Amino acid sequence: MKIAVCVKHAVDEAELRLDTEGRPVLAGAAGKMSTFDKNAVEEGLRLKSAHQGEVVVFVVGAAESKKTLKEALAMGADRGVFVAADPLVIDALRTASMLAAAIRRSGPYDVVICSEGSSDTYTGQVPPMLGELLGVAYVGYARKIEVTGGSARVERSLEDSVEAVETSVPFAVSVVSEINEPRYPTLVQIMQASKKPIEELNGGEIAPPGTISGVEVVSMSSQPSTRKHVMIEGGPDEAAAKLLDALSREGVLK
Amino acid sequence: MSGDVWVYSESEGVSAEVASAAQDVARGASAEVRVVDIGSPRQGIRGSGVRLLLKGPSGPDVSPAVAAEALARAAKDLSPVAVLLGATRDGREAASRLAAKLGVGCMAEVVKLASDGQGVTGERNVYAGKVVAKTRCQFPAVVTVKTGAYPRAEALPERTQEVEVGQVSDRSKVVGREKKAAGGVDLRSAKVIVSAGRGVKKREDLSMLEDLAVTMHGALGCSRPLSADLGWLPEEHHIGLTGVTVKPDLYLAIGISGQLQHVAGMKDSKIVASINTDKDAPIFQASDYCIVGDLYQVVPALRRALSARR
Ligand SMILES: Cc1cc2nc3c(=O)[nH]c(=O)nc-3n(C[C@H](O)[C@H](O)[C@H](O)COP(=O)(O)OP(=O)(O)OC[C@H]3O[C@@H](n4cnc5c(N)ncnc54)[C@H](O)[C@@H]3O)c2cc1C
Ligand SMILES: Nc1ncnc2c1ncn2[C@@H]1O[C@H](COP(=O)(O)O)[C@@H](O)[C@H]1O
Repeated sequence: MKIAVCVKHAVDEAELRLDTEGRPVLAGAAGKMSTFDKNAVEEGLRLKSAHQGEVVVFVVGAAESKKTLKEALAMGADRGVFVAADPLVIDALRTASMLAAAIRRSGPYDVVICSEGSSDTYTGQVPPMLGELLGVAYVGYARKIEVTGGSARVERSLEDSVEAVETSVPFAVSVVSEINEPRYPTLVQIMQASKKPIEELNGGEIAPPGTISGVEVVSMSSQPSTRKHVMIEGGPDEAAAKLLDALSREGVLK
Repeated sequence: MSGDVWVYSESEGVSAEVASAAQDVARGASAEVRVVDIGSPRQGIRGSGVRLLLKGPSGPDVSPAVAAEALARAAKDLSPVAVLLGATRDGREAASRLAAKLGVGCMAEVVKLASDGQGVTGERNVYAGKVVAKTRCQFPAVVTVKTGAYPRAEALPERTQEVEVGQVSDRSKVVGREKKAAGGVDLRSAKVIVSAGRGVKKREDLSMLEDLAVTMHGALGCSRPLSADLGWLPEEHHIGLTGVTVKPDLYLAIGISGQLQHVAGMKDSKIVASINTDKDAPIFQASDYCIVGDLYQVVPALRRALSARR
């Protein structure tokens, strides 16, 4: 089974600094593998161990994104494809078109795995767009994937229900965090990962920009919290009474 | 620019929220709002003078794949300036597929929409909610509207315009559906929300918080792990970046650490109070009233104090 996993090198929100105007300092900002993409890699590795084959990881981004590919390789993926593009100017549809072009080149794949949404920009758009652009079946928010021969049964985790869906191979899928517990690479695996092959492509060349203007970011800002931060002291009963008093004064208690 | 602003969600409640958002876009674009039904007409969604019924797809449920194809076919004929969908799990998929089919930009998780007459502008959370980004997309645009960000639109008189889009098929087939644990009251309209986090040790203990919520005439919400990872509550109860946005008068965070992604969904609450054993928990930075204490002692104490006052 040929398995493609898309991993994003996301801005590490915990490390992200803001300038004096409250704007994020993105130049040189620290990055990390997008949180739920670890679940996507893990699921790819599990499918491989059940069905044999190969797990190829794809990233679209700046040169630092190769760190995330290496992390996925250390987890156990076989090889990586790096697609160079400026993450700050491309939107979900451009990202998906570059991923689709890269996946086509090294494909065909039986399964293409993404996560439900990236930890920095969380659009949730790249996976379904990718399914659409590749022209394969797409199933979103998977919490369980079983492939048997040419068909697959996927459990989708929706807001108020779990939906069981039957689809056919090849298909693309996005996974939610409850699907598995991602493994941690060992030191030996991390060292071995540096020997695994990474193919380098140019996003603008493999997926030439069309006429679509796409989504642009006009400005970014953050507002400092304006909360009161009143610490309520005392034992449970005293604190409870004081809190209720405060809430009545605020007029929010009915 | 001619063309209407379309509204679609598989959920009728969410569709009414999106209709409110659409009015903000329509105003700036001098356009009309059209609420779209696919396959068969629905009762509850009202929000425009004329609603569109896309005829062709049959069956009780419209999958995101079918919705996207039906909307794409109709949009090619009728050229709406924007198609707005609710940012539910199915809605994100339908919107993304639609944008890919039409080859147009797709704005995600927008909370505040407007139009400058040439495109849609909107605000959204990025970097786990640390930053708000103003984004813009030229017409024609597809947009997903964050759930809970807008109130439901009021009912308006209406007539229906039918559009034939033909049969639409999906490569995947739904073979089963199971309801998640029973849901409760609607978080979006609740004036008081008692919200549970991982500080709650066992599923059974949620009843203590639910009881507090009921006593306060409020609803029970939760952090993502309680719904997404533990499955103690349905996904629609989880508040934050990947869940619903809420703005109650009182948000009471109990055993919630207050990670950015959670705060993103409740930061516009009028008053925030929180209970946490860790005096350095980030939730206190986002709170007006802070109790450093064990929820297993403070919640029963609150419950007693409330009964004593009534
Ligand atoms: C892309 C992405 C999107 C996300 N979206 C969301 C989202 O929409 N909503 C969301 O909530 N999370 C979201 N998360 C997860 C988020 O990062 C946090 O992991 C999550 O909010 C933590 O939940 P928690 O506060 O309940 O648990 P924890 O972080 O484990 O906190 C538990 C808290 O309970 C306190 N506690 C323990 N025992 C007691 C006690 N007896 N009494 C009182 N307090 C106690 C602890 O001190 C601690 O502060 C997202 C993550 C990612 C990567
Ligand atoms: N630049 C990227 N490179 C590789 N995969 C990506 C990229 N952006 C998004 N993805 C995939 O799409 C998922 C959802 O991302 P998003 O649409 O940004 O929320 C991610 O978890 C990845 O699996």
